Amino acid sequence: MTHIVVDPVTRIEGHLRIEAEVDGGKVANAWSSSTMFRGIEIILQGRDPRDAWAFTQRICGVCTTVHAIASIRAVEDAIGAKPPPNARLLRNLIIAAQCIQDHVIHFYHLHALDWVDIVSALEADPKATSDLAMSISDWGKSSATYFKGIQDRVKSLVERGQLGPFANAYWGHPAYKLPPEANLMAVAHYLEALDWQREFIKMHAILGGKNPHLQSFLVGGMATPVDPNHQASLNIHTIAQFKKLIAGAQEFVSKVYIPDLLAVASFYKDWAGIGAGTGNYMVFGEYPLSDEADPEKFLPSGIIRNRDLSKVEDFDPSKITEAIKHSWYEYDGGDDQTLHPSQGQTKPTYTGPEPPYERLNTDGKYSWLKSPRYDGVPMEVGPLARMLVAYARGHEQVKGLVDAVLGKLEVGPAALFSTLGRVAARGIETKILVDKIGDFTDELAANMGKGELRIHDNSKWEPASWPKDSMGAGFHEAPRGSLSHWVHVKDGKIARYQCVVPSTWNAGPRDEGETPGPYEAALLGTPIANPEQPIEILRTVHSFDPCMACGVHVVDTGGREVTRVKVR
Amino acid sequence: MNDRIPVLVLGLGNVVCTDDGAGIAAIHKLIREYDLPEGVLAVDGGTLGLSLLPLVDSADQVILVDAVSAEGPPGTLVRIEGDDVAPAVYERLSPHQIGVADLLAGASLLDRYPDRVVILGVVPDSIDLGTERTPPVEASIPELVERVVQELTSLGYPPVRSENHDEANDSYAHLARTLGV
Repeated sequence: MTHIVVDPVTRIEGHLRIEAEVDGGKVANAWSSSTMFRGIEIILQGRDPRDAWAFTQRICGVCTTVHAIASIRAVEDAIGAKPPPNARLLRNLIIAAQCIQDHVIHFYHLHALDWVDIVSALEADPKATSDLAMSISDWGKSSATYFKGIQDRVKSLVERGQLGPFANAYWGHPAYKLPPEANLMAVAHYLEALDWQREFIKMHAILGGKNPHLQSFLVGGMATPVDPNHQASLNIHTIAQFKKLIAGAQEFVSKVYIPDLLAVASFYKDWAGIGAGTGNYMVFGEYPLSDEADPEKFLPSGIIRNRDLSKVEDFDPSKITEAIKHSWYEYDGGDDQTLHPSQGQTKPTYTGPEPPYERLNTDGKYSWLKSPRYDGVPMEVGPLARMLVAYARGHEQVKGLVDAVLGKLEVGPAALFSTLGRVAARGIETKILVDKIGDFTDELAANMGKGELRIHDNSKWEPASWPKDSMGAGFHEAPRGSLSHWVHVKDGKIARYQCVVPSTWNAGPRDEGETPGPYEAALLGTPIANPEQPIEILRTVHSFDPCMACGVHVVDTGGREVTRVKVR
Repeated sequence: MNDRIPVLVLGLGNVVCTDDGAGIAAIHKLIREYDLPEGVLAVDGGTLGLSLLPLVDSADQVILVDAVSAEGPPGTLVRIEGDDVAPAVYERLSPHQIGVADLLAGASLLDRYPDRVVILGVVPDSIDLGTERTPPVEASIPELVERVVQELTSLGYPPVRSENHDEANDSYAHLARTLGV
């Protein structure tokens, strides 16, 4: 039995540690630990609920919009504010744009290097790379000269020792299966994606008042004026700008992302049998299509258990609980108690070893994450859950695209329950969203056309108009999965605030019944070729797109970039 | 939006992690107390990573204002420049793996690294949870702002102390007040 520690897991947001036992070349047991405390809940107590989003937005540098959205929805639910149709559309635009950008960055900049060997790309024949690229897509940048230029650029980086984000990986590992030409093509698209995302995210700059943190959120609506004829508002020119950015996104996703995904996946089909995990999937649903109390959503909510796609249960928020038996928290009712988030408590009590340490005591408490459960069982959240629930509910576009991808790869639906399934689902969702986001733009334009310019419900702005004591919940499908904020508003102030974030659902530790969380379950059985270089662990963990959301980043003038992998 | 930014002053850090928010506190103080000359853009970058790329790769000169782990007691001011910038952001074991390092690496990979990047920082005492800076760090923020002003002046962009802060023209005013920075 070999014990492996990967700490920190790189190319993620925040601090994640994985400990695993390897037996006979496979992971026999795994523990996922977040080693940083996130306690935004404590900071919010006693504050004006209308300000909460500005703080929750700072939980995380990667998904600033998502905590703002969940927060304003929770507070609106508590005080009874009803955002007008334009606010719903503006939020849908912000959410979809965030998800599209995030998924592309994840595929190319956070996850690709687990599958793509940069060093091998240096040996590629640019002409053969060009032939390969042209055989899978009619994307313009595909000449031999172009790929030669990319290769020279990477070569010069390697020679100067300035690998930057390409440093610190397991180049040459036998688990890399792509031929040099596919590697070079992927490197070229890594750079193109970097450039593309910087263009596309101008959607947010337009929607959010030019500042990099969107400042247009407002409890009861949005703060961005909508007026077709006014220069400082979202107007007809804005709509034209959106359309241009969306057209660019559609082209990039259809001609670069999806063909790359299929090309890479075809070399790694064994990963369709690895990394399944719990087999339970939860989706809150997203993109409300109307302004009623319980609107239809473009991506539907639902629960799937035990990989059974023939049954989708309706989601019931009262069935969420959080356990802390293996988390560095205490509850008034003791370690075996589980609490609904509306009654949640955040009382940190660190009992782990003094850092630096070799091993966590995984029999006791070992993570700063709680263990969220739905009806007592762990649930995977994220793009795979969303695509599975939509597929099982017969969502036309999702069904068509999922079946097309499965057909191209010549695998059955069971392949979806895997590491590769997670990677594919993220790409499929991106395509679904770039095709949908234009509808939100059109609806906004139509509203402008008929003089529907309202963006905010003022009737519930003053605290005097609120109930004296009320609870609210805000549900949101963030890029990484189901996010909920829970707020208790009393006498105009926040009495209690709880966030249950996607990576807590996925990366949380064992619960009070010792059932492992989704990461821990997904790692079981993962083959490990070389315990010193456990790239296979990174593949599965990265496939969830971890975001540990601590957002701390002190520059260290004396530190070194190292990921410690300890093997014993 | 594709226009060049002659000088970008970018505050970095997390305002809910005590001293990690020093750079953000400094940037808002700068915006509040000075009229910045044309050509200078001051931005609260928070802990955003690649979303800041459009700003950084459009800038000729960049001044990063941040918390910096370095020699010296908490509150010590630090200036990092030239060849020392890359190691300071690359060679670190940071929980924020897709933050500043990847931002600068991204600009570099796209061949759009700014002509000059300077980090003006302050040594933190604590980066624990909290919306206020520790006393030694809070006390050094006026001087950190002063250093930014000097840096801008030496670049030929002298800020002028503003007598009457016009909140109507400051899109950050409400946010800064809410966050207490």
